[in-house]
Amino acid sequence: MSSFLKIAIRNLLKGPSTDPYPFGETFVPKGLRGKIKYNAKACVACRMCEHVCAGGAIQIREVADKSGLEFILWHNTCAFCGLCEHYCPTKAIRLTEDYHTAHRQEDKYRYVEKGFIKYVNCARCATPMVPIAFELLNVAHDQVNEDIEKLRHLCPKCRQERALR
Amino acid sequence: MSTYTIPVGPLHVALEEPMYFRVQVEGETIVGLDITAGHVHRGMEFLVMRRNIYQNITLTERLCSLCSNNHPFTYCMALEKIAGIEIPERAEYLRVIADEIKRIASNLFNAAMLAHIIGFDSLFMHVMEIREIVQDTKETIYGNRMDLAANCIGGVKYDLSDEKIKYLMKQIDRLKKPLEEIIDIYINNKFVRARTEGVGILPKEEAIRYGVVGPVARGSGIDYDVRVKSPYAAYDKIKFNVHVENGCDVRARAIVRLREIQEAINIIEQCLKKLPNGPTCIDYLPEIPAGEAVAKSEAPRGELIYYLRTNGTDMPERLKWRVPTYMNWEALNVMMPGNKVSDIPLIISSIDPCISCTER
Repeated sequence: MSSFLKIAIRNLLKGPSTDPYPFGETFVPKGLRGKIKYNAKACVACRMCEHVCAGGAIQIREVADKSGLEFILWHNTCAFCGLCEHYCPTKAIRLTEDYHTAHRQEDKYRYVEKGFIKYVNCARCATPMVPIAFELLNVAHDQVNEDIEKLRHLCPKCRQERALR
Repeated sequence: MSTYTIPVGPLHVALEEPMYFRVQVEGETIVGLDITAGHVHRGMEFLVMRRNIYQNITLTERLCSLCSNNHPFTYCMALEKIAGIEIPERAEYLRVIADEIKRIASNLFNAAMLAHIIGFDSLFMHVMEIREIVQDTKETIYGNRMDLAANCIGGVKYDLSDEKIKYLMKQIDRLKKPLEEIIDIYINNKFVRARTEGVGILPKEEAIRYGVVGPVARGSGIDYDVRVKSPYAAYDKIKFNVHVENGCDVRARAIVRLREIQEAINIIEQCLKKLPNGPTCIDYLPEIPAGEAVAKSEAPRGELIYYLRTNGTDMPERLKWRVPTYMNWEALNVMMPGNKVSDIPLIISSIDPCISCTER
């Protein structure tokens, strides 16, 4: 049997196989690589995401008044490849399942994901520094005890001095 | 009988990619052919030298949509060769799974195109709907319907949980029966046969002379498959057949592609059964020394070769690739003459040309 008729009739009885989107729901699996979400609290400003981003969609820059770092991601330049998420040590950057990227033409340069990492002062010498995220401690240590927690508030230099003491 | 030269293309010959042919015809029969390429040159060979090794994973994936997984896969293999990185065993299997899923989707797409070109649009729609099972699978497991983004330097970026393995098994099972049905139609249906049998003949000697690769070679009786001749990733641990047809025509090439889908299903099943536990990727950032390497893999269209030279920085000094279509389109000079004008798109589509990766 090599007639297509049987298959054609079966398909006809099955009805349309397209989704009614945008008037109804469509197939969105868990784990879809959609718009990026950034969590400034977990970010340690290692800039790996900026380095691996193929389109150059990510920028991390110090703000004019030197009070911290600003993270900007242009959704329109993002290729949804997920390399930033893969290489992020603290998973501060991740891809969401949100695929809705329609926006007005006049908004195209404002269509960004932003975050701000405010510098904190070192508990000992008051040098401004990028706060050390809890997530990073969890990557580096099996268990975070009180001593390690204290070191978190010191700048690299003071931390070194304390460790050598 | 009078002789004409008719321009075919550059837009929309078989699929929406530009390729320009000047076809000399005598009456309705083709007697000669001129191929003009270069309409979609995007300067990507230069672009890769301006990007670092990580960015190039994403960039090479965007060379081509249908064999998009093979490009970063082969690129990563070349990098790993230079740096001497051993990838975890689980990653090898996961790479094979990603590659075979892409092969199924790519070959189904070409089979659908064949049906569309011969005017059998209901079959075209049916095959595209079967392909939709694979598209949904890709979207669920990798997060995108075309660009899987499965590879990274030293392994893969995705993992298969037990739940996902079960899902993948189920989806593959769903493919089997409709696949049997359409293979029967492509082989035996009298309308499909009338249009594909004896059309675009590439004899074995000519196939060897032109050095064609992939399903075009295997449709002309050449038993050549990179996965068997020089196994990479986990292909040496898996048993599978290379399907060879001796018809040398459009039909033979279509059958090879369809049989390869069945073989791909078999490969995925074996991989899922043998999938070892362990990490999916190296847990350090690789250091790439100066060096050069060649890596090759079997893309859905045939042998894909990557040449990479590094100079110790994280920007490649040179990256060059030879894609299967480059070898295959010259053979059109043999396939075309003697056929009718109406068969031009059919013959072009039978080599499954990928212009975007050939002209990059």
